[in-house]
Amino acid sequence: MTLVFQLLQQTAVIIVIAYLFSKSPAMDYLSGARLRPRQLLVLYVVFTLFSILGTYTGLPIQGAIANTRAIGAVLAGLIGGPVLGLSVGLTAGLHRFSLGGFTAFSCGVSTTVEGLIGGLVYLYLIRRKNPEQLFHPLVAFSATLVAEVLQMTIILLLARPFTDAVALVKVIAMPMICANSIGAALFISMVRDQKRVRDKVGARFSSKAFTVADRTLGILSRGFSSETAREMAEVIREETGVGAVAITDRKEILAFSGIGDDHHHAGNPVVTKWSKQALRENRVVFVNGYDEHFQCPLSNNCPLGSALVVPLQMDQEVVGTISLYEPKTKLFLNINRSFGEGLATIFSHQLLRSRFEEQKSLLIQSELKLLQAQVNPHFLFNALNTIMAIIRKDADQARELLLQLSNFFRTNLKRNRDIVTLEEELAHISSYLEIEKARFGERLRVNQDIDSALLGLQIPVFTLQPLIENAIKHGVADLLDQGQIWVRAYHQDGLVVIEVEDNAGNYSKPNDTQGLGMRLVDQRIKNIYGSEFGLTVDCEPQQKTLVQVKFPLNEELANDSCFNH
Amino acid sequence: MIRVLIIDDEQHAREELEHLVRETGVFEILGSCTNAIDALRRIRTEKPELLFLDIEMPALNGFELLAMIEDELMPHVVFVTAYNEHALKAFEEKTLDYLLKPVSPERLLKTVNKVRETIRRGDRPCYQVESLRHIPCQFANRVKLIPPSAVEYIFSDVAGIHVVTREGQFFTELTLKVLEERTPLLRCQRQYLVNPESIDEIKLFDNGLAEIKTLIGNTLPVSRRYLRQLKVYLQL
Repeated sequence: MTLVFQLLQQTAVIIVIAYLFSKSPAMDYLSGARLRPRQLLVLYVVFTLFSILGTYTGLPIQGAIANTRAIGAVLAGLIGGPVLGLSVGLTAGLHRFSLGGFTAFSCGVSTTVEGLIGGLVYLYLIRRKNPEQLFHPLVAFSATLVAEVLQMTIILLLARPFTDAVALVKVIAMPMICANSIGAALFISMVRDQKRVRDKVGARFSSKAFTVADRTLGILSRGFSSETAREMAEVIREETGVGAVAITDRKEILAFSGIGDDHHHAGNPVVTKWSKQALRENRVVFVNGYDEHFQCPLSNNCPLGSALVVPLQMDQEVVGTISLYEPKTKLFLNINRSFGEGLATIFSHQLLRSRFEEQKSLLIQSELKLLQAQVNPHFLFNALNTIMAIIRKDADQARELLLQLSNFFRTNLKRNRDIVTLEEELAHISSYLEIEKARFGERLRVNQDIDSALLGLQIPVFTLQPLIENAIKHGVADLLDQGQIWVRAYHQDGLVVIEVEDNAGNYSKPNDTQGLGMRLVDQRIKNIYGSEFGLTVDCEPQQKTLVQVKFPLNEELANDSCFNH
Repeated sequence: MIRVLIIDDEQHAREELEHLVRETGVFEILGSCTNAIDALRRIRTEKPELLFLDIEMPALNGFELLAMIEDELMPHVVFVTAYNEHALKAFEEKTLDYLLKPVSPERLLKTVNKVRETIRRGDRPCYQVESLRHIPCQFANRVKLIPPSAVEYIFSDVAGIHVVTREGQFFTELTLKVLEERTPLLRCQRQYLVNPESIDEIKLFDNGLAEIKTLIGNTLPVSRRYLRQLKVYLQL
């Protein structure tokens, strides 16, 4: 029984080593994932030393050694598979063999076999797709127990003289089986706890990264400017808890938030050599605060002592930096370092995306301009021709039409805003329609039915005009008998519907070059309000074409008393 | 005096052009028409020497009207358009001239000189007309536009020219000759045109005559004279 306690005492040494091991970088290899040769080598060295240590700390008994060598061999097999187990077992076994004694050979063989047993358990659990069981203390306990029982059997089989072997086993069997099994279980349990702590930190780290990404996504989609930079710097500082955060473009500081903001101001030029280096070489620059000190170029009393400068990229081109700072009184956490680097990657992607969005909207803008330019000549010359004819008969009407024409062109030129009210859009098309009515005479009838509560509705500019133009150009103008157009605006099922209908029913699906106006109307509304809104066309050939535009109901309109009936 | 017809679907445009044309004092205005169908009738009855023809008109545009006119009735043509995207095309078609709306009297005078010169020389108008995209047919009070591909066959009788489709039989004012020249339809007998795509079978008789059975089951006569052409076309 004393032997049990003595062995357990040695196990305590092992536990200390296990603890140190679990804090070391080698711990990263115990991730349960497939190990690379380099990692296997490290584990081989660690466990072999561990196993040999077990031999040295053993107690000499009756010409043999009661020891804890088995733990290293079994665990090596359990963690790294049969090859690692066998290698560790063989090395530690050879070492034991070299020490001599009547059990030298049998102990050497049995240690090798113990490593193999750990490896077989590993194989079994991996095949059962149950690798997390490898880190279960009970598994380590049982594997070592079996291994030690086997060792005793091997001693009895191989050690001579047999009577000495029986006497030895009688004394050491119980204590060694107990001590080794318990030791292995404790070791694994400690490794497992450490692993759990790490996973938890990892999880917290990921969730923090997601929070930042989520909070900054909206900000960055508005582009990279001093305003968005300021909001982002605040978010990053809040989430990481670092002393200060700075965001720069290639030339100057766009935003600074945190300690030292008394002398670090937005608008200052980028002066530190580290920021310049990050910008120039497009790489992360880390000033850890003890090997190298962050030296503020602006003030000797600057409390900042360490810095991480990460370049921001867009299309492989550096457009700025994000810098995280810690005060001299605080160490720069490793976790914040990898965090900062990760953020820069996310931001670079977001920047690219926001530029893409910007270009898309620019494209729409220019297409819109093109559309305006495209429609007008035809309309203008026909209008002028009509008015010239009317001048001969009715000067007043001609003057009236010229006023409408100048109204139409003036508003067309002035329409630089993106959003107008329905009322403004209706006023614009009414000038257009007055001229077209004069041109077509009896052949064009226009009916309007607009819910007056909707007049204040905000809609994208030029929403109605292309629809009306189409209804005339491809509808009424192509009819031999009377053409009719209906313009309606109403609300229905929580939606606002604006529609233009004609009685020609000539709509055909446009090809790429046609239908630009309608496509733009649809695209802009989907961009602004979402894909469930936009434009739909319903055509009954030779009967009618109905074009509907659906909007969400604006909040202020929804609250209007007119809608509460 | 040069006898002219003005064709434009817009009342004001028509009146303005009439006014300008009258002011030159060299034209006799036979009338003005609002669409191609009406214009075709007037061309047959009045036989104008010159058309002032708007390009953009409902149902059938200016080019399509030209494709409907028999060669021997073809007048000289001056296109009138508000927008010059067609101007280039009008030149290619070798129309006499084209005017842009609004028309200035000075520009019109140039056209007048050109027309007078052409008529004095006795040049016949010879336009490269397009093939017909539609065959305009009378249907109750409406004009029905039938694409040639939808036609089974066309025949003439004392009442006029009849277009037969799967939907029924329609009356058209176009002549068989125009239809033969400007559609893919083939002549199979003096009074019949057939759509080769609608031929189901051809029965040959000993006397050199034949019969066509169409896809919807009509029987058409084939005369000796046209059977040969038909065989060549169908590579029989």
